[in-house]
Amino acid sequence: MNAGTVSTEYILRMEDVVKTFGGFTALHQTSLTIPGRMVFGLLGPNGAGKTTLLRLVTGLISPTAGKLTLFGGLEPGASAARAMIGYMPQSLAIYPNLSVVENMLFFGRMYGMGEGALKTRIDEVLETIELSGRRDDILANLSGGMVRRALLGTTLVHKPKLLLLDEPTAGVDPVLRIKIWETLRKLCDEGTSILITTHHISEADRCDRVVFLRSGVIIGDGTPDDLTRQYQADDLEKAFVVATKEGVAT
Amino acid sequence: MRSVWVAVRVIREISRDRRTLAFFFLAPLVVMTLVYYAIKDDQIVNIGVVTRGAARFFEMDFISTLEMDKDVRMISMPIPDEETDPQTLDRLIRQELATGGADGVLYMGEKMITDRFDGREGTLHLYVEGSKPIITSAVFGAIADAMDELAASLPVVIDSSCSSLCAESVNNKPMVLEKHYSYGSDDYRMVDFFLPVLPAFFVFFFTFILSTITFQRERLRGTLERLLVAPVGFYQVIAGYVMGFFTFASLQSIIVVAFILKLIQFDFTWSQTLAFSVVVLLTMLVALNLGLLASFLAHNEFQALQFIPLVILPQIFLADIIWDINGFPMFFRIIAWVLPLTHANAAARDIMIRNNPLSNSWMELLILAGFIVVIFTVMTLVAQKKDKSI
Ligand SMILES: Nc1ncnc2c1ncn2[C@@H]1O[C@H](COP(=O)(O)OP(=O)(O)O)[C@@H](O)[C@H]1O
Ligand SMILES: [Mg+2]
Repeated sequence: MNAGTVSTEYILRMEDVVKTFGGFTALHQTSLTIPGRMVFGLLGPNGAGKTTLLRLVTGLISPTAGKLTLFGGLEPGASAARAMIGYMPQSLAIYPNLSVVENMLFFGRMYGMGEGALKTRIDEVLETIELSGRRDDILANLSGGMVRRALLGTTLVHKPKLLLLDEPTAGVDPVLRIKIWETLRKLCDEGTSILITTHHISEADRCDRVVFLRSGVIIGDGTPDDLTRQYQADDLEKAFVVATKEGVAT
Repeated sequence: MRSVWVAVRVIREISRDRRTLAFFFLAPLVVMTLVYYAIKDDQIVNIGVVTRGAARFFEMDFISTLEMDKDVRMISMPIPDEETDPQTLDRLIRQELATGGADGVLYMGEKMITDRFDGREGTLHLYVEGSKPIITSAVFGAIADAMDELAASLPVVIDSSCSSLCAESVNNKPMVLEKHYSYGSDDYRMVDFFLPVLPAFFVFFFTFILSTITFQRERLRGTLERLLVAPVGFYQVIAGYVMGFFTFASLQSIIVVAFILKLIQFDFTWSQTLAFSVVVLLTMLVALNLGLLASFLAHNEFQALQFIPLVILPQIFLADIIWDINGFPMFFRIIAWVLPLTHANAAARDIMIRNNPLSNSWMELLILAGFIVVIFTVMTLVAQKKDKSI
């Protein structure tokens, strides 16, 4: 797709984007440019507006004001843009009565993949998420961690250029959490851009760039090191706390 | 103490949900009202009397005897007096039954009287439409109650050698009642009345429940959202649901129909089966769209569950499944009209009992199609309101 050539410039650009639901503003005027090929973290407590921002990117909801462009010029919701996005919602959005492979086949087909390419790709993804041995197991019979991995697998089948992951590590045990981050790093090295939300402050260190979000306002933006220095904190966790306090003051 | 707090919380939660409250308290009242009208023993039947020849002299006796039954309303038959050809009369009487002007017609010809004069019992003909068991049995009941009285009003021949005792017995000589059915027969049972509507009912019932629940899950789990983020349109998702449910609905109809055929040995022709399938398919589409609408209106799975009795119960009681709704007050008949199954059932019975072609039910089919369009439109509007993306 031609958008692939421009995607090196930026993967997502938000210009003065506002999102309100009724009288409630979930996202205040926000401008943000996210370059491609990096793990971009969106950090904030519950209700900060993380999911809202991701849904704006998918085109599921449209901004109340402002402009949002993807891959160097595509509108969110345009089918070319949708084809390049892999979206993993916060919920376990996967079919529990289907097997791992059946789920992956289903989502691959939803993205219009040919059967041959799809089969090869599924084998690849199963390796990545380390579920090759349980490929034909019904999800309901798998452990919670395996279901999480299967969910990630279904978002990867169509080789998205941009991965939108909504709190993929929420409620996940530390071992699996490390595994997921290793997988994400590997995908990023292979050229996938990743926009990930989390409320685990400790995870922000693993991102290439982080944005602090609070009550729909960006209160910090930079590399983990930048942010630690900017807020004169020992680590990112303290930086976040400081940023949050300043956010209250302003 | 903890359980008391749990109880308080539960009561508080439910009492804040008006829909649950209304359902919980009003539904039983409504159902009981309906049952009352249905079993209330005053099914009024319209009975006409046709007499020819010398039998004309006894018509008034018949009418006054039958009129003593308060559940009988005597009607005059719009058949020309000068018409005497038995075959034409037979046709005109059946026509009157078909249009619903009469529920039962008594026919007494010249032969009846001559038979009586010859000392025979004589045959009284009773015509019924036959496709509605409740009406049919009400007509039979009214006539049976009056049979002895009717016989007594007829002439008897008493020859000179007959004693008064003999005269008494002759006077009470019973008549033979011959029943003529437009549809069905003496073996026509309640189950034959239910049979044609059962597949449509089951398809409606289960499609509605399944689509409500599955689509609700699809929304809650977030898989619908994922499909909409993928290059898949909302209408494609709906179309997929239609196809999936069509498979289930057809399988279910086949099983239900096959089972019933085996059970009661009802003969269907292929064209009947085909016409019937069209009705069932339309019913399925109505139920599917209604299910999707319900799942969009519901905020959670519990609310989705509430829609099930809300949609199903009125159809059980008012859509001509168990009893005929025509004797009910106007209010209920209006509600019945807006129930999809009322029309599906009317078409199904017309095809299966009266063996009429599908084209005869065009009005019902059109109404069902109208339901599909209206419900689909409302469903899309509600979906758009809930989810800007659709
Ligand atoms: N569709 C919606 N309608 C109304 N309010 C919403 C809607 N979606 C999100 N919100 C509100 O916007 C705020 C941000 O929500 P969200 O983006 O889900 O936060 P996060 O993902 O960071 O926890 C919350 O207060 C939430 O209640
Ligand atoms: Mg969220």
